[in-house]
Amino acid sequence: MRLASFIVSFALLGAACGSEPAVPEAWVWELPDTVPEPRVPEDNPMTLEKVELGRFLFYDKRLSGNQTQSCGSCHRQELAFTDGLAQAEGSTGQLHPRGSMSIANSGYAASLTWANNTLVRLERQALVPMFGEEPVELGMANRESELLQRLREDERYPEMFAAAFPDENDPISVDSITKALGAFQRRVTSFGSRVDRWQQGDRTALNASEQRGLALFFGGTNAAGVQDALECFHCHGGFLFSQSSDDAGQVFDQKFFMNNGLYNLDADGSYPPGNQGLYELTGDPTDKGKFKPPSLRNIAVTAPYMHDGSIATLEEVLDHYARGGRLIESGPFAGDGKDNPNKNSLLNGFAMTEQEKQDMLAFLQALTDEDLLNDPAISDPFAE
Amino acid sequence: MSRVQIVLATLAMATAGCGSSSEGAGGQAVTIQFAAKVGAADFVCGSTYENLGADDSTLTLSDFRFYVSDLELKDSNGDYVAVALDTDANAWQTANVALLDFETGCTDFGNPETHEVVTGTVPEGTYDGLRFKMGVPFDLNHQNPPTAEPPLNLSSMEWDWQGGYKFLRIDSGDFSMTDWRMHLGSTGCDGDPVAGGTTACTAPNRVDVELASFDPAGDTVVADFAALVAGVALDVDHDAPVGCMAGPTDSDCAPLFENLGLPFDGSSPGTQAFFSVE
Repeated sequence: MRLASFIVSFALLGAACGSEPAVPEAWVWELPDTVPEPRVPEDNPMTLEKVELGRFLFYDKRLSGNQTQSCGSCHRQELAFTDGLAQAEGSTGQLHPRGSMSIANSGYAASLTWANNTLVRLERQALVPMFGEEPVELGMANRESELLQRLREDERYPEMFAAAFPDENDPISVDSITKALGAFQRRVTSFGSRVDRWQQGDRTALNASEQRGLALFFGGTNAAGVQDALECFHCHGGFLFSQSSDDAGQVFDQKFFMNNGLYNLDADGSYPPGNQGLYELTGDPTDKGKFKPPSLRNIAVTAPYMHDGSIATLEEVLDHYARGGRLIESGPFAGDGKDNPNKNSLLNGFAMTEQEKQDMLAFLQALTDEDLLNDPAISDPFAE
Repeated sequence: MSRVQIVLATLAMATAGCGSSSEGAGGQAVTIQFAAKVGAADFVCGSTYENLGADDSTLTLSDFRFYVSDLELKDSNGDYVAVALDTDANAWQTANVALLDFETGCTDFGNPETHEVVTGTVPEGTYDGLRFKMGVPFDLNHQNPPTAEPPLNLSSMEWDWQGGYKFLRIDSGDFSMTDWRMHLGSTGCDGDPVAGGTTACTAPNRVDVELASFDPAGDTVVADFAALVAGVALDVDHDAPVGCMAGPTDSDCAPLFENLGLPFDGSSPGTQAFFSVE
């Protein structure tokens, strides 16, 4: 009898605090065996309902002040969630100093955006494009009540938010928006390229040229006889093809930023004003020109390259690394990046034959994941 | 335990989980009056002010807000005693931080409401001095703004690039990229991808203010924009952005930090001149 009354008491406890919520369906990761699961924040577990809500919000132009832009406007699926621009443009026409980064595999990034060591969670990073003022991106600063009202008046959202956040009495909130966006982005994984299939054991997935490129990328000896001549994998290796890589099993802080010799304006190795990389956050002069090496997956469809889109083609990227830094002969940004004092010590340049260059280009192009570019499950639900 | 006791204990746990009660503090009520000025003139949202800074510049000011924390009043023994802020049903104060808001919504980033006082309680006594910090304490500064208690859930006071808040925001014009502004917050912060939070900031940038002679019954704490920009060349911008957003690499911040008594880029701090007593 004592046990029964205890159970009754707990039922009353449940009744006092709210009615029994519907249970959302847990997300199941479909990843190759060779890849770890991404870290999922404890306060934002992955569910089907939350991910689908996040997809709608990601592509919804009502998340911008003037309703002309959504996250998907600058993160376009057909360009592996980039926008083809050197510098991103906000909803009111203000230019960002840097280009839009791909959100594919962003759930694995040890830090987010090009050169910010404090943005380490997708949910918090979403606040920057939503509410940032310099530049204005989506342009919702001070308009959160208006945003929530737009969503409440929609036919679908009240039910979608309730299904995704059943424990919330008022599920439509800025917090739930960022959590849904975080869950959607976290599920946009990309491990379906031919390089991935090769690495998972399919020895027909890459042709001979691509295989030679892969070998050079991962520390192979070049035609000139130099071991690990290209050194690519040091910054762009690992399962993420970027050293800045976190996952559910990581216990160490793997944030990573480095200077690859793009500019050298003065004796301090300065980069152009307003685009000095990690230095702008830390104030440490040795951080001038340090940026996060992005993942190279889908790199063939995410031109132009570097944080400011200042290298247009992959051929020119390879030339840049072969030289060991960029020479700008005249103009306001003149200087030889090869001599930048903060340049990563591994970037000493290398000899590259024409065949080796073609092999590298072939390999880089084989990193494109066609499934990512075409998967309807992550496409724009508002598109006609 | 008897059956009744179990039920009562469980219901007590239920109500504790479902709601909270606030305890009233003893002592006497205190109201600390603040004012925003530009030299001798009151700050009025959208007004134009002349003869500012080293270049005798003209600015139309459009925002003037700041957080204060850790307020203490000096008692008759010369000891500083903490002011317990009123936080019940108070959208401007939470824990030990308060938002002072002098703008009246003359631009899109503001709101019509103002808040020019800090209210709280102190132990019974007489007080003749005031100490406080301009800023948000570290343990509140890096939380998730959308779920924070007011006044820490305003998107216009968030400073998401460093995962914190703007401790001070004074803006001019229409908030375009060429309008002068000052935003102050902690910089040099570091995020931890494993635990997910911010571990530390090399430049906390909280302004210590001591007003050794201050009578809470009749005096006002004045925040004077003209004093903040004294000796500052407002017409020249050396490093983006226009004005100072506390970037450790923005040399335009150096004289402003000096007027706040904050160190900048390794320099020794000057003397705080923004806040004074009237």
